[in-house]
Amino acid sequence: MRRTLFTLFIVWSCTLSFASAQNVEPTRGGALQSLLWPEPPGIMSGQFLQSPALLVSTKLFEPLLTYDFALNPKAHLAESWEIAPDGKRYTFKLRRNVKWHDGKPFTADDVVFTFGEYLIDVHPRIKLVFQRTKVSKIDDYTVEFRLDEPFGPLVRSFGIGTEIVPAHLYKGTDFRKNPNNAAPVGTGPFKFKEWKRGEYIHLVKNADYWRRGLPYLDEIYYRLVPDAATRAIAIESQQLHLATQNDLELLHVDRLSKLPYIAVTTKGWEWGSPIVWIEMNNRKAPFSDKRFRQAVMYAVDHTFIRDTVFQGYAKIATGPIHSGSPFYEPNVRRYAFDPAKAESLLDEMGLKRGANGVRTTIKLLGLPYGEMWNRAAEYTKQALKKVGVEVVLEPSDAAGWSDRTRNWDFEMTMYFLTTLSDPALGVSRTFMSDNQRKGVLFTNHSGYANPKVDELFIRAAATANEAERKKLYSEVQKIMVDEAAVAWLVELVWPTVYNKKLHNVVIDSSGPNGNFAETWLAK
Amino acid sequence: MRFVAALLAWLPRAFLMLAAIGLLNFALIRMAPGDPAAVLAGESGASDEQFIAAIHRDYGLDRPLREQVFTYLRRLAVLDLGMSYRTQRPVASVIFERVPATLLLTVPALLLAIIVGTSLGTLAATRAGTWKDTLITSMAMLFYATPVFWVGLLLILLFSVSLEVLPPFGMASFIKKTGMPGVLDVLQHLIMPVLSLALFYMAVYVRVARAATIEVLGRGFVRTAYAKGLSSRQTLRRHVLRNAVLPSVTLAGLQVGQLMGGAVIIESVFAWPGIGRLAFDALMQRDYNVILGVFFVSSAMVVVANLLTDIVLRLIDPRIGRN
Amino acid sequence: MQRPALGGLRSWRFAIGAGALLLIALAAVFAPVLAPFDPWEIVGGQLQAPGAKHVLGTDMLGRDVMSGIIYGARVSLVIGLISTACSVAIGVLIGSLAGYFGGFVDRVLMRFTEFFQVIPSFLFVVLLVAIMTPSMTSIVIGIALVIWPPVARLVRSEFMTLRQREFVEAARVAGLSHGRIMMAEIMPNALPPVIAVASLMVATSILTEASLSFLGLADPNMISWGYMIGAARTVFRQAWWLSVFPGLSLLVTVLAVTLLADVIGDRHNPTLRAMAGG
Repeated sequence: MRRTLFTLFIVWSCTLSFASAQNVEPTRGGALQSLLWPEPPGIMSGQFLQSPALLVSTKLFEPLLTYDFALNPKAHLAESWEIAPDGKRYTFKLRRNVKWHDGKPFTADDVVFTFGEYLIDVHPRIKLVFQRTKVSKIDDYTVEFRLDEPFGPLVRSFGIGTEIVPAHLYKGTDFRKNPNNAAPVGTGPFKFKEWKRGEYIHLVKNADYWRRGLPYLDEIYYRLVPDAATRAIAIESQQLHLATQNDLELLHVDRLSKLPYIAVTTKGWEWGSPIVWIEMNNRKAPFSDKRFRQAVMYAVDHTFIRDTVFQGYAKIATGPIHSGSPFYEPNVRRYAFDPAKAESLLDEMGLKRGANGVRTTIKLLGLPYGEMWNRAAEYTKQALKKVGVEVVLEPSDAAGWSDRTRNWDFEMTMYFLTTLSDPALGVSRTFMSDNQRKGVLFTNHSGYANPKVDELFIRAAATANEAERKKLYSEVQKIMVDEAAVAWLVELVWPTVYNKKLHNVVIDSSGPNGNFAETWLAK
Repeated sequence: MRFVAALLAWLPRAFLMLAAIGLLNFALIRMAPGDPAAVLAGESGASDEQFIAAIHRDYGLDRPLREQVFTYLRRLAVLDLGMSYRTQRPVASVIFERVPATLLLTVPALLLAIIVGTSLGTLAATRAGTWKDTLITSMAMLFYATPVFWVGLLLILLFSVSLEVLPPFGMASFIKKTGMPGVLDVLQHLIMPVLSLALFYMAVYVRVARAATIEVLGRGFVRTAYAKGLSSRQTLRRHVLRNAVLPSVTLAGLQVGQLMGGAVIIESVFAWPGIGRLAFDALMQRDYNVILGVFFVSSAMVVVANLLTDIVLRLIDPRIGRN
Repeated sequence: MQRPALGGLRSWRFAIGAGALLLIALAAVFAPVLAPFDPWEIVGGQLQAPGAKHVLGTDMLGRDVMSGIIYGARVSLVIGLISTACSVAIGVLIGSLAGYFGGFVDRVLMRFTEFFQVIPSFLFVVLLVAIMTPSMTSIVIGIALVIWPPVARLVRSEFMTLRQREFVEAARVAGLSHGRIMMAEIMPNALPPVIAVASLMVATSILTEASLSFLGLADPNMISWGYMIGAARTVFRQAWWLSVFPGLSLLVTVLAVTLLADVIGDRHNPTLRAMAGG
């Protein structure tokens, strides 16, 4: 009798666990309450590139392709695509049953307009890619991009940042002053409903979305909460379901991650791949000497920065290309924390310690984006002081910082940059000697110039052969890291913190910047 | 009649004052390093010459400075505060959306400070030298010396973090309630910010009222009143209060400008959506028109407040106008 | 109504105020000797609560709070004193000219003073410091440019009263220049009440600097109590010591200054003196 009961019990519990292991059916409906901070100046795709703007615009507008975690392209508004063997022609076949939020059909005209006119005009980064292409309509649902030279990064350039905008509403207008910017019309799974300034942005479900049965959610509210501690409380108290990137201080993320109903993921930023570094003005001594730059790399404790300044939400950066990139080269010169080595390099350079122990005094322009960055600057000052370099911290605010950095008015400047999904898009711009454009931010501000590096970057961009590109990028990384072109600190990891009731938040490399068509909220 | 004439004479002077303030601030803000286009570029992780040029064009920043000044003054003359660079909305809407929040904070704080402060001050003066006086003056000194932002933080630590009886930040729960629960919600959020702001100014009024009352009590006519046989209370009310309140009222007019400063701090500590914080953020973003707009609006409020205190003073003591 | 026991009270306040201020000044001057650690150096684990090794705890990088507080006295005192001195200089200049010459000069200077009193002063300081980018110098200048009006008004009224006195008439008749009269004859009599106001202004400057630093407008190469509190905003729930101790330091300092200022002020308040029988 007992054995029978026991067997029954075993069978019963096995059945239960089997049942729970099955995929749960998504719940339809509900309102996703998400944080958003700071309030973006606008949410029109292509024109507003701030992180909070992107979080919203990507729900309303869609790109031709999406990219999985390994950055492999997947069909989206483009059903299929073909790359000619010579790498100079890309043909996209577009999906047919897609409608704009105002009911008009999505066609090749919209794609041609977006890449041929709109983005070239408004998007400072993307235009650099599509100025090389000529886009033309083959028929209502086929589009072709022609290039004079093959361009390796092109295949990874059809995701975030290149969402299609409606030609019938924007063609021939002043894009920046178009009234539709205030109530954007896209093809995405969510439509714009309302923006109550200082309070929330409200999106509702697109009932005519081309993916049948999606989205699961009825609406999304992006709540604007100015105070960091309140944002943490909002997530903790389950009033809000989702926070990402800079919404929460990393100290709070740590604490929240321990709660049973909160999940944290660091995936979903593969397309951005942000890296933090200290750029030194190569036009001035002692920064022109690579030994000084190397000394800086040896003097700072990267582990401390990762663990204490960034609360563990970072990876030590070893070079210019993000470790998640297919082109990442791990076999480069390693800069372990070695103040003694830093000191010997400085001695070798002729920067001896003076009577007061100081070799030289330099200035550091820190990034004024919050307390975490202030601590990073303060730590750097301390670390360099230990090896005899006196650092004067220069205060600034966002406007002052960007002015000084882009006008080369700095000795050392610290910041982070999204290196994007391809080195030719996000990395070369900082290091190529012909990209020194005074007055323009995120170009080569430091004046670093190595003709071999230039050549490697140019060759790597000019081919679509991945294997060849990998070899070229390996070589360029080895050279740049050896010369300490800049002092790389960490790769930023932006945690997405969400309530476990929320499912399918981060399903590909666009992470929380995905369109949330498959996201659902359990009751 | 003389009163109306005085008012009419006051108007152009006030307006000239505001124009001068506008001009000064216009000049100063332009001296701040950086420009709004740069801020937008920095936040976007992307920039190029056309991007910056387009923004300059949109905001009229590419026009020569003289022209920009004239445009600004011309607009100011018709009370057009221009457009906010950041949100591309009229500055007037941006500001007036948030003025109620600041008024909700500063007016009760000022009233609380004046009423409680003056009462305690006069009380202390009449009991000068006793333990009551010492207690009141010590408390006043304590609150005078405490930084406003620290009081706010301490109150939050006590009432929100430890005791968990009051909400720590904001003007209302972010999922808004309507009707009566909504009003109560706001009132609950209002307690700590108002208290933090009021305590310092209360201390000021205690000290001023106490000093003024002591001075008045020492004056000849009070002794005469006593001699005439008027009771202590009647004397207090009729003569002392009126004369003691005069400095408080004068002070109130001057303090409206200072209250804005207190508002900036309290609004930062409590994430209160008012114009103080708006001005600070706009400065960081180099949203010139918004900062200028806030300066203009607050200066206008100060000017009006001074006029009102002038009127109140004349009402309290008709001798003032006659001098 | 009872007679206030002013003599005893005054000496009591003086003792506390002067004593506290002396301690703070000593901390400021002898900081390198008194502080247990270098305030910038990372000497402990992150965010440690007050304990044996770090009496007031450590901050988010692991720096000792007690050392930070001791060094922080420098910024508060230096900025408090220098900006008040500058501001008094400005106020005295403007007030004396206005009060002595009267007429057109007075009207212009008073409009100028009124102008500065109408502008929301704290916002104006924020603007000035942001333009000049925060540093010890720019903060001192910013504060000085904003708090002088009360001094100007006071000096003006003193000069207006004193200028009519006989000794001034005599000096004019004797042929002394305006400058001589203002500096040598009137000023010494006009200054005592200014001292009382100035000592209160020190308190205001210290608080203003603290507020500026709290909002982030501080010289990042100096340790300021306000800055310490502002930097700890995001963690103040779990690390209360980072906000409480710097705030207490501010409180004690400003209290000491105010106590002293009151004592000085009482000396010059004729009514109070009369009531004390002096």
